[in-house]
Amino acid sequence: MASTALAQSKKKPPAKAPAKAPAKAPEKSPTPAKGSGDDTEIEMNPDDTAPKKGSGSGSGAVNPEEIEMGEPEKPGDLKSDLNIASTETVKAGPIKKTPLSWQDIVVVVRKPFLKSRRTELLPFVGTTMNDNMIRHYTVGGELAYYLTDVLAVGVEGQYYVHSFQEPFDLVARQARRLPTINQYKWSAALDFHYVPIYGKFAILDHNLVTWESYFTAGIGAGQSEVIPRDTQFPGFTNLLIMPNVGASMRFFLSRWLTVSLGIRDYIFYDHFEPKNRSLMMYATAADAKANADGSLINNLMFQIGVSFWVPTSFEYTTFR
Amino acid sequence: MNNHSLPAVVAILAAGVTTLVADTAHADRRTNSLAADVAVRHRRLLVKNRFELAPLFESTINADFRHILGAGAKLEYHLGDMFSIGVIGVASAALDTKLVDKIVPTLERNADSKTREPSRTEFLDHLNSMPFHGAVYASLTPWYGKLAAFSQAYVAFDFYFQAGIAFAQLKSDCPISVCSDPAPGKPRPDPMNPSENLPQDFNPNNDPPLNSGGRVGIYLGGGIHVFLNDFLALDLTVRDYAFTDNPSGADFNANLFVSDADNRFLHHLFFGAGISVMLPTTVKRTP
Repeated sequence: MASTALAQSKKKPPAKAPAKAPAKAPEKSPTPAKGSGDDTEIEMNPDDTAPKKGSGSGSGAVNPEEIEMGEPEKPGDLKSDLNIASTETVKAGPIKKTPLSWQDIVVVVRKPFLKSRRTELLPFVGTTMNDNMIRHYTVGGELAYYLTDVLAVGVEGQYYVHSFQEPFDLVARQARRLPTINQYKWSAALDFHYVPIYGKFAILDHNLVTWESYFTAGIGAGQSEVIPRDTQFPGFTNLLIMPNVGASMRFFLSRWLTVSLGIRDYIFYDHFEPKNRSLMMYATAADAKANADGSLINNLMFQIGVSFWVPTSFEYTTFR
Repeated sequence: MNNHSLPAVVAILAAGVTTLVADTAHADRRTNSLAADVAVRHRRLLVKNRFELAPLFESTINADFRHILGAGAKLEYHLGDMFSIGVIGVASAALDTKLVDKIVPTLERNADSKTREPSRTEFLDHLNSMPFHGAVYASLTPWYGKLAAFSQAYVAFDFYFQAGIAFAQLKSDCPISVCSDPAPGKPRPDPMNPSENLPQDFNPNNDPPLNSGGRVGIYLGGGIHVFLNDFLALDLTVRDYAFTDNPSGADFNANLFVSDADNRFLHHLFFGAGISVMLPTTVKRTP
């Protein structure tokens, strides 16, 4: 009957009400149990402890007064519950079986963070991962609205700065070749996010952190600019169509604050400065652009940011 | 005090005692053992006191001149739930990167000492490869947890971080016909007149690359185990083998000859994927 006491303590404040309820409950349900022996250990019928007015029939109709929908749960008192269970004389009687009342038992812990109908504001920074000539750093932001807890639509924007890597100089100095490279200026995209994986982990066996993993696919645009090999020639810019795919992880710090990090692949067809550019050939930006060499680019970027969620809190809309 | 006030006093005292007891109980709850308890009870000890044998594949991340692709194994013993020691060894092959593929066709076919430009053969023969590399390390596993994929598959995982000593065998094959300078950076004997010396040739393209041989350095790694069952886990790791190297085998410090001074401390990033077999195959649980 300890299980009965624990189950009922979720419906009423444990310090006051459960003293009588567990003892009386079986007396009101004289219907013999037909299940296995385990059925006698758990209070099965929600009608047993509910007020008589408007009580359900066990087929799904539930008295709204029985269930707390929005109030925060009061802390349970295990010690008092155990004392009650050990001191009260409980009349063991037959228990009516009503499978629907299993909904009252917490089998899977609720998600500690709900995203449905919330907006995420994510400022982030990023860096190129797969270009050993030029490294781009980005500052950007994303605004995403979660239609459900696993599906979101958002817009993002990034501004790029760059630095040259060691091979950029080495190739020029050792192989006597000037690399043909472009720098990226900005990009923006419409993104869709899907969250198929969530979990939790313990840090040093004490602190639990909840996290999830989500995939992103989007379509957007951006701009690149040719860095001329010879600075006497002008560069030119390209407008890029930039679909993207990615995978990220999000760590929940509070009800309104999360940390996200992930990898995004921006895929586009870029145009580069033509070979053999000289005063006699492709000297102007227009000529060079018209004769540019094209190539499919995968700009793989690592991104990390801190998300702020609006509204800053949420309420559970399903039974615990 | 009259008799009528006595029940009220008793009631007040009772309420006070109840409040005190309640407060005490509340205080007990706030200071009970749960606060200092472990995060997870009855947890499967998936690594503690177990050997981990993992056949694996590795590939360089963002290599400059040659991708290193290899297969090997790691053997690790988990002394506890968070601490382990291990060794990893990988035998590898090398593939030219796209950067090399773009550079080489533009280079001159035959060596010309007047141009300071390497020929195709000189450029390729100076590049080195890494036939074997590995590390001895200690590993810390501070995070463990479980995840649900599509609300269907529930798997345990842990994150780990490693540090240790890296070792690598580097190899470059530049034949004497290509790397013909017997004394890079120094005057050379004149073959026509042995009593006279020729000045330094200032051509690093015919110098020996000096980028082969054994290396010892620092090893850092971080990865994740995704447990498929009690004794099999998917092992994904990013490893950094850091040691002195000169992958191009060419002049780095612009003194126009190749020497050991052109080697510098470089990070060699690898991504590895393997299947870890935990031995013994049965697991214990925490209390």
